[in-house]
Amino acid sequence: MAITGVLVSVDQFLNIKLDNIKVVDEERYPHMLAVKNCFIRGSVVRYVQLPAQSVDTALLQDAARRERQQPAASGRR
Amino acid sequence: MDGFQIFTTSTSLVESVDKKLLVVLRDGRKLIGILRSFDQFANLVLQDTIERIYVGDTYGDIPRGIFIIRGENVVLLGEIDEDKEDELPLRKVPVDEVLQIQRAEMEAKIKRERERHRLLSEQGFSVDAVEFGELY
Amino acid sequence: MDDHAPLEGSGIEEPLDLVRLSLDERIYVKLRGDRELRGKLHAYDGHLNMVLGDVEETITVVDVNEETSEEVIRIVKRNCEMLFVRGDGVILSQESEWKNAPRQRINHSCIKNI
Repeated sequence: MAITGVLVSVDQFLNIKLDNIKVVDEERYPHMLAVKNCFIRGSVVRYVQLPAQSVDTALLQDAARRERQQPAASGRR
Repeated sequence: MDGFQIFTTSTSLVESVDKKLLVVLRDGRKLIGILRSFDQFANLVLQDTIERIYVGDTYGDIPRGIFIIRGENVVLLGEIDEDKEDELPLRKVPVDEVLQIQRAEMEAKIKRERERHRLLSEQGFSVDAVEFGELY
Repeated sequence: MDDHAPLEGSGIEEPLDLVRLSLDERIYVKLRGDRELRGKLHAYDGHLNMVLGDVEETITVVDVNEETSEEVIRIVKRNCEMLFVRGDGVILSQESEWKNAPRQRINHSCIKNI
């Protein structure tokens, strides 16, 4: 199942809250028809598709390199 | 970090307490009930819960009562739009009807999945015994 | 010990350090659920959560012909500009275009019985 919506929050477990959701391939998931917003448990997520223009890839790469160098300071903050 | 913390804590389910929610479980069950309590693991307490079984454009309800759900089994929680709820292109039928169809569908699916796993494992894909494809 | 000498001082001490070498490179990722990804690695963490750019996803599905019960394996491709991948699903990653390896599906069947 794939759901699109406005991302309103993410926490340390990568639980996700979406507003104004739209389920891809709606007919297969009739139970979602009346649902307007949802909380998705992080552990069941496979991917998050992101709008490319809102991702700073240079910043991400720097962060990934730094996190490996200082594992003590790692963990998601 | 501080800014991010404010952001992170907001995934809490407080705003959903006392609201009617749809909860989808990992085994594919759909529950509808009122959220009374939750914790950081998304363990949930649901009151006046029904289990709703969907088959095609029909559904059937089973009254279940109070549920304490262990968080790891939760796939998603959704707030139900009560306006939309009344105009769905779905038909309510006696639960025995959907149960029968559901059972037949499940058996067919399990057979299909077994065959699929056999073929894909020949292709070098890993197959978990518990993995029965997309249940949710 | 001597075998490990070339790695000393290169900052490569554990498996995930090798992933760091793939940053900003195109990699191949094999996932649970009969999925594979090829894309540019922008970020990763200790769970092997990753952010990949310019991604091609390959899904292997089995179609069953209702009449003949014949099964056909079908490859579905999807593209995505930017994708966060949850580490849970990752089986392995490798530098996909290393030595200009052809973009073929890699059969890791030796792994399946572990």
